[in-house]
Amino acid sequence: MFMQQMVNGFSLGSMYALIAIGYTMVYGVLRLINFAHGDIMMVGGFLGYFGIAVLDLPFGAAVLLAIVGSALLGMASDRVAYRPLRSAPKISLLITAIGVSFFLENAFNVFFGGVPKAFPVPAYLENVIDFMGLTMPVSAILVPIITAFLLAIILWVLYKTKYGMAIRALAFDVGTVNLMGIDANRIITLVFGMGSALAAVGGIFWAVNYPSVEPMMGVLVGLKAFAAAVVGGIGSVGGAVLGGLIIGFTEVVVIAFFPELGGYKDAFAFIFLILILLFKPTGILGIDFEKSRF
Amino acid sequence: MKKLALLATSVAVLASSSVAKEINVGVTMSMSGPLAAYGQTAYEGIEFANSLQPKLKNGDTVKLVLIDTKGDKVESANAATRLISSDKVVGIIGELTSTNTAQVMAIAEKKQIPVIAPVATNDKLTEQKEFANRVCFTDSFQGAVVANYATKDLKLKTAVVVVDQAQVYSLGLAKAFTDAFTKAGGKIVKEIKVSSGDKDFKAVVSQIKAANPDMLFLPMYHPEVSMIARQAKQIGLSKPMFSGDGVANQTFIDLGGDAVEGYMFTDFFDYGAPPTQRSKDFIAAYAKKTGKQEMNSFVALGADAYNVMVDAMNRCANPEDSVCINNAIKSTVNFEGVSGVLNIDKSGNSTRSAVIKVVQNAKAVYKATVNP
Repeated sequence: MFMQQMVNGFSLGSMYALIAIGYTMVYGVLRLINFAHGDIMMVGGFLGYFGIAVLDLPFGAAVLLAIVGSALLGMASDRVAYRPLRSAPKISLLITAIGVSFFLENAFNVFFGGVPKAFPVPAYLENVIDFMGLTMPVSAILVPIITAFLLAIILWVLYKTKYGMAIRALAFDVGTVNLMGIDANRIITLVFGMGSALAAVGGIFWAVNYPSVEPMMGVLVGLKAFAAAVVGGIGSVGGAVLGGLIIGFTEVVVIAFFPELGGYKDAFAFIFLILILLFKPTGILGIDFEKSRF
Repeated sequence: MKKLALLATSVAVLASSSVAKEINVGVTMSMSGPLAAYGQTAYEGIEFANSLQPKLKNGDTVKLVLIDTKGDKVESANAATRLISSDKVVGIIGELTSTNTAQVMAIAEKKQIPVIAPVATNDKLTEQKEFANRVCFTDSFQGAVVANYATKDLKLKTAVVVVDQAQVYSLGLAKAFTDAFTKAGGKIVKEIKVSSGDKDFKAVVSQIKAANPDMLFLPMYHPEVSMIARQAKQIGLSKPMFSGDGVANQTFIDLGGDAVEGYMFTDFFDYGAPPTQRSKDFIAAYAKKTGKQEMNSFVALGADAYNVMVDAMNRCANPEDSVCINNAIKSTVNFEGVSGVLNIDKSGNSTRSAVIKVVQNAKAVYKATVNP
């Protein structure tokens, strides 16, 4: 029983982690809390749904479509909504992000309706594995594995490639990076693309584990992933993963030990956030804000 | 001014010969927005009942004035005000949900215009209101229906209740079930609270599995219930599961897939087991008009809200006297409706039968009728 709940928490936490990485990356370079990130995840889920249910693509191709589509959307949102405000105060950027978020939610609500649509999950992902009394569907086991894999790729890009170096440099100072002959806007576009692609993977996972898609599905998940990014230390990729796992475990533990308070599990997750910020304002793995990134 | 002149002429004409008038009945319904699918279904019933019986006994024509509330609280209140002050309706049918209907009823109460809610089940709606009525049953009744059916017919002794604490509907229904189930000798072994919008219930179903009850009662709406059913199946939890009318729609079955096979819930009516002659005729006419073989229970309740209104108007000497219509609605006795036999008392609540349905082969199938 206890082990089963731990496995549940691990799987849920990995899902938050996947989304939290996107928040943290964009924050790292732009100091922008991209509130539309949860909605990009929703778009990823919808694109996957369309790939499978409407275009009749195999699951893998639908995932690819979702990733590419979301990455393009993420880059487009930067081009249209954020780039013109590069030199504006940060608060304007934040409000714009909320605007983009509302726009996406309502656009999908108008075109596809608010009734949840059943997501067609391939049968092999729904198989249930029974291991020493612990039961888990294949999809829930895949989440932590793929999260770890993607985390490794992100870290590799950040620390072993030229682009990664540019991204890390950008986190220090945009102006100086431009002087060094690097096109800052191109790098920022790349960051949006990477973050949105991760959100799409998260969206697909969300849709596979809880097989439905609807326009508001990204709101609460986005908020919790944001909390995860802050708990872990916003700006730190490893911290985002750690924060995601912490939030996931908190929720599961509340239900496991206090079923009467289960409806308040979100509140517990956010109380935890406040407590951590009281004692460590930069988050668990957060490094001093003005000195370093990632 | 033009309107007034028109009215004056029509009154004059009426006085001389007795040419039939047009009487406005208002409808507030969620025709767009997230609840559009349900609102449109209920309105389909209201509109179709109107086309079957457009005239009163005295020859007057009933004209429906529809205002879309977009499923919103404020829009519902505005719609009621507009219907009463500018369209001069004698009665209002609607809204869809309990929350929005409460808004409509609050406004109509002040203007002394009777409201008939087709499907809003919350117990509190009609409390301390003189002009509030409904043709559906209340949550306390459907909670008792499930409890009695489970204990008496299926001989189930222990239950776990999962409550959505963000929904008044869920809290009321859970309480009604718990009271009736305990009274019938059953035992609630665990109550777990969740919140609407949740998707991950793995921890919840693991808890339920550990408690090992005879049955589960999930008084919530279909998005959460379908997820719980799916995740319960994944961990091999296969106990009988019940819900109220919050899952009585095809979307629930689409979202739940295999996991909701055998799922049982209360509903108002089933087209496969028409309770009255009027239902048989209505279903036949509906099939002829729309070509659809199936009829949603919201269509039947929408139709009955209209039928009860017209019946009450017919029993008033002056069918434009809203106070008289309201009194007539509240003395509806053994009324043969489309959704069953209705009795509406002083409180405005109706006493009526419920049906229990079970999901079989991705379809909701009639299982039993429970009389009050």
